[in-house]
Amino acid sequence: MKKTLLRLYVSVLSLSMVFSAFQVSAQSDPTGKRRITDSYAIKDALVITGPGKEAQLSTILMKNGVITAIGSNVNIPAGTRIIEGDSLYIYPGFIAGASDAGITKPEDPERPDGFLSSDPPDEIAGITPWRSAADQYSSSGKGISDLRKSGFTIIQVQPDGGMLSGKAAIMLLGDENTSNLIQENTALVASFRGSRGMYPSTAAGVMSKFRDVYKNAEQTKNVNDQFGNNLGTRRPEFTETSQGMQDVISGEVPVLFSASSELQILRALKLQRELGFKLVLTGLENYEKVIPQIQESGAGVLIKLQAPDDKASKKELDEDASEAAKEQLTRVQEAYQAALAQAAKLEAAGIPFAFSLVDAKPNKAKEAINKMMEAGLSESGALAALTTNPAEMLGISRVTGTLEQGKMANMVIATAPIFEEESQIKHVVVDGYVFDYETKKKKASGEAPAEGIEIAGVWDYENAGPAGSNEGTITITKVDEGYEGTITYDNPSGSGKASAPISDIELSGSTLSFTFSVSAQGTSIDIEVVGEISDNSMEGTMDLGDFGSYPLTATLTPNFISSK
Amino acid sequence: MLGLISLNGLAQAPKGSVLIQNATVITITNGNMEDADVLVEDGIIKKIGQDLRAPNGVEVIDATGKYLMPGIIDAHSHQGLDVVNEASAPITSEVQMKDVVNPTSIGLYRALAGGVTVSHAMHGSANVIGGQNATIKHRWGTINPEDIIMEDAPRTIKFALGENPTRVHGRGNGIQPRTRMGVEAIIRNGFNEALQYKKAWEDYNSNPNGSTNPPRYNERLQTLVDILDGKIIIHCHSYRADEIYMLINVCKEFGVDKLVFQHTNEGFKVAPEIAKYTMGASVFADWWAYKFEVYYSTAYNAAILSRNGAITSINSDSGELIRHLYHEAAKTQRYGDLTDEEALALITINPARQLGIDDKIGSIEEGKHGDLVIFNEHPLSVYAIPQMTFVDGIKYFDINEDADDQRISVSPTEMVEPIYLTEENHRCMQGTIRYYGENLFKHSH
Repeated sequence: MKKTLLRLYVSVLSLSMVFSAFQVSAQSDPTGKRRITDSYAIKDALVITGPGKEAQLSTILMKNGVITAIGSNVNIPAGTRIIEGDSLYIYPGFIAGASDAGITKPEDPERPDGFLSSDPPDEIAGITPWRSAADQYSSSGKGISDLRKSGFTIIQVQPDGGMLSGKAAIMLLGDENTSNLIQENTALVASFRGSRGMYPSTAAGVMSKFRDVYKNAEQTKNVNDQFGNNLGTRRPEFTETSQGMQDVISGEVPVLFSASSELQILRALKLQRELGFKLVLTGLENYEKVIPQIQESGAGVLIKLQAPDDKASKKELDEDASEAAKEQLTRVQEAYQAALAQAAKLEAAGIPFAFSLVDAKPNKAKEAINKMMEAGLSESGALAALTTNPAEMLGISRVTGTLEQGKMANMVIATAPIFEEESQIKHVVVDGYVFDYETKKKKASGEAPAEGIEIAGVWDYENAGPAGSNEGTITITKVDEGYEGTITYDNPSGSGKASAPISDIELSGSTLSFTFSVSAQGTSIDIEVVGEISDNSMEGTMDLGDFGSYPLTATLTPNFISSK
Repeated sequence: MLGLISLNGLAQAPKGSVLIQNATVITITNGNMEDADVLVEDGIIKKIGQDLRAPNGVEVIDATGKYLMPGIIDAHSHQGLDVVNEASAPITSEVQMKDVVNPTSIGLYRALAGGVTVSHAMHGSANVIGGQNATIKHRWGTINPEDIIMEDAPRTIKFALGENPTRVHGRGNGIQPRTRMGVEAIIRNGFNEALQYKKAWEDYNSNPNGSTNPPRYNERLQTLVDILDGKIIIHCHSYRADEIYMLINVCKEFGVDKLVFQHTNEGFKVAPEIAKYTMGASVFADWWAYKFEVYYSTAYNAAILSRNGAITSINSDSGELIRHLYHEAAKTQRYGDLTDEEALALITINPARQLGIDDKIGSIEEGKHGDLVIFNEHPLSVYAIPQMTFVDGIKYFDINEDADDQRISVSPTEMVEPIYLTEENHRCMQGTIRYYGENLFKHSH
């Protein structure tokens, strides 16, 4: 018996050696990761080729990262991998006008001897216009896979840093093993962020320093222009900063200015008026009242893809709350609605806008867009903000932004029209690479609870997590209208267990879902649990947003006493 | 009211017309007129007299039994600013408060409720030569800073002597100035460097062949050149008589005569010198002993300075005091027996002179701006309460229309918006800001 096993082992071993040797010699791919084909066909899907276009039953053929055919009558050559597109909806891949995904902050340089906080070197004071986001970017970096999972295929990444952090770059969210750079030096990234404990430390100082840097770079350019022509001109004194500014001075590259509020927007516009650079405003959150000024300036617009937090506007007041408190709440609610309606106002004003994903959660992107649409943004306007508008702004509309023959094979493939509630992304194609995603069972959506399913009681659960396995209990109690409960989990910032209240507890059919928040190291993570229940046990997932999604199992010790 | 203000960044400030009838008109510069009318047309005081008739469509307000005075002017305030101190260098003359004006700051509305129509939004006192200030008109209801910045007001700049700059830079960063001597040296070095900078540009510009290189552009030094050229009024935070006299001497030496002292708690010791060489002093009515260098002062300070012929104003430097500067002015009658006219000049025409805008505001005169306040009682009465406040003939405050919530912008995400509280001697004294709000410990300000 032993002998046989041994022989079998040896033969398998030798066979695999032969196989891998064959791979090395024939394909030069010792990793075995190379895909079998770069030709794909998505058959018989409903294709929306661009904003405002009707869905057409089509087949899309792509090869080597390019769409080679699209239509109802496409011949699929041999050797093409076929993806069944029945009942799937295909959209152009999404593009984000600004993002910091995949970026690792460079190390701070050491302070030189005799460092003066009143006159620090540019590099230490956050003035690094020569830096490139491409140097700080990694295709396997933080947030990339989450962005792609949400349908994004191209992002303009901005470098980390201070008031002039460096140059943005356009990146594909494609295969990690390929170079994903589309274009470097696409914008100079600026903000009103001062440097801690040195000049310039405030928005006022930043504005003055911006003028200083800009005007001196202009002066360097003028001197350089003369240097070649006028004998007797002293050589221009090039610095990294003045060199980093030249493409902005010449108008080849815009300034991508972070300005979240109306006042910040007006400040960026003021600098633009004074100095005359090309401007793209990014990270806009509150901008309703300055839309006319934005329009007049001709600046590009990237609004933050995030709905405002609705905790305040959903606050419920006690019955005996004062009139003043009620009026105050009404104003907050009006402000909340007005904030959501801003995108529609931009659309109505005819200002083409796209999105910034800096400090926004990609997994909440759809929710944010849906809220903007409920507040008046058209569906084609929303899709344009995700596709054609950013392509236009980034100067890449010739190659991407819509689904057409000859354009890049970047697309989002969903189970239903993309903005519909139940729509889920099944595949994302970037540069011809196909990324597959699990489509979740429908989340609890108001369906009546199935017969015989009980969720009240104490669940013992186990799940894998980003830092190993985790276990705890979920306690659910039936109350008058619905459920309430708590969850315990391994304390992320210490030993033992921590607990948190759970909310949005819903049972529909046999699907249980709820959410809770965990605070760790100063940030708060929103976690969503969805599970399928049968016979007092549950199998599901725990979704930690940016930190990934992990399987979860649980068993119930029922508690039949309902508390009032 | 919101609709009155244009959203266009380049638009003219809104101007209104109004006829206020039957008031006791306190002109400040030309005595009181009983039972008089004031007509404002397109933002300008057109006529003062009896039985004036309103042109078609002009609103008439009956102020029978009430007092009408010019809008109060606060020569030292930090209301309506998002940033106060660029405290990172001993000289930051390039920094401009006009860049960080926030017209939605509720402190401006509260100031209007206190009859204040114009304030001098100043840089803080961390630096020997701080940033340039903004003179703002309290045109409440706009979000555009350009709607409230008084563009025809001369440029002014903040200087600071004594403990603040020596604490921030000397003790805090181990650089000059560590002492009052260092403060003087910073000013002298700055002025001398500015002279060199000016000369370098003159040399460059006088060479028509363009074969030499221009000096490196430097707005910091250019601003100091503008001070030396008399284009900017210095407003200097100061307490002690010796440092006040020091700056008088330095300015004399460099030919600078546009100089106003702020706080000036020992101004009474050098009142004749202030009167002779400067544009006067802007002081508190009775506030001192909040730190060592201001241990010695007197509530008679304003009266002594005034009677010595120094242009004297009383300021708030505070979001609280700005709401009742008329009370602060009245204190000079208890401490110093100033006349009504002298006391009210401290908060009207005198601060206007110190800001270089006395040809436009500060008194009720034909041709001046229609910045007016109606009081129920004489403004120096302890029972005085402002009823209506007008800027350029437009009513921005009416006690009968004063809602609980007068905010222009409301946060969509917070019921109680974070409040930045500063201690009462605060920005001008400590440079520290404490943060209060729902997320007290989550923020990293």
